[in-house]
Amino acid sequence: MAYTYSKIATYTVGSGGIANVSFLNIPQTYTDLIVKASIRTVATPAQIYADTTFIINGDTGSNYSLKFLRGSGSGTGSQSTTNGTAGYLTQLTGNGATANTFGNLEMYFYNYTSGNYKSFSADGVGENNGTTAYAEITGEVWQRTDPITSFSFNATGVFAQYSTFHLYGIKAEV
Amino acid sequence: MASISLKYKSKSGNLTAPGDVDPGAMIPLATTTLSTATATITFSSIPQNYEHLQVRGILNNSATDAALMTFNGDTGSNYSRHRLTGNGSGAGAASGVNNTSIAINGLTGFQSTTSVYGPVILDILDYVNTSKYKTIRSLSGTENNTSGGIEFNSGLWMSTNAITSITFSTVSGTWAQYSTLALYGIKRAGA
Repeated sequence: MAYTYSKIATYTVGSGGIANVSFLNIPQTYTDLIVKASIRTVATPAQIYADTTFIINGDTGSNYSLKFLRGSGSGTGSQSTTNGTAGYLTQLTGNGATANTFGNLEMYFYNYTSGNYKSFSADGVGENNGTTAYAEITGEVWQRTDPITSFSFNATGVFAQYSTFHLYGIKAEV
Repeated sequence: MASISLKYKSKSGNLTAPGDVDPGAMIPLATTTLSTATATITFSSIPQNYEHLQVRGILNNSATDAALMTFNGDTGSNYSRHRLTGNGSGAGAASGVNNTSIAINGLTGFQSTTSVYGPVILDILDYVNTSKYKTIRSLSGTENNTSGGIEFNSGLWMSTNAITSITFSTVSGTWAQYSTLALYGIKRAGA
């Protein structure tokens, strides 16, 4: 239902870019969390696409695992990571791609305050007016039982000006 | 910003009382359900005071064709798209550059089988941001018990103009009666 979808916080990257974006002190009053992000990264040398990684509660231990399905514009693939030190958020748009173009990402965190390991998905696309651009559907788990109170996005290089990160809360019932 | 649940927000205890409902951040803007077969579906005069748009719908196409999405009536070669597909026996990927629209569900098209409607959910982020080209992401599929497929699509409109209208046309054929598309606005988080 629409009224269970609540806005929490937004961050817009300013001039010069920034390497990390964090949401801290996340309210513990929702059932699930959604992040919508419009992201472009700037690196040297310029890349059409680039990794963006993700850390929960500042945890850089070997507590992240994932599997993803990928399309590159001309081929497909699937890979996995076990006991990784960060989550993964798709090969999003880099500064080698078409100017003014940003990737489109949605993450969904299920039962983020529960006492179980935290599962989340990341559906992302990195557009480009060329054959190569990645579309990826990722399923991941953070192997910790702590409630999620913060997370950080880490760019390859920096997040470009005008990149946006939006955090929403979802309530399962009223 | 914390949410206020309805049972606490209500002044009267009646959850349907006018003025008592917190509408949340996702607001229904318009819904089109076709009463007769139609070649195009357009959302026009889209409000400019949201952060994102989402389109949800079910579609049946008389020619089993894709949905071709354009913005603001622009039919120039200003679109690109990429897709990841599965048809039950294999996965595929394809791209298109300098296209005149963004094709949604282009591998299999939306089914023409009577009573079979394929779902689509489509997100457009930062649709009024005039510093960005507009990137869409969609998940769609069809299934009629013998054929079908699923698609994860991206699309790019190479324009910094704010999106004021969205049109869904098709290669050929028409959108069948009862095809439905609904447009939602998603408020800026933290605003």
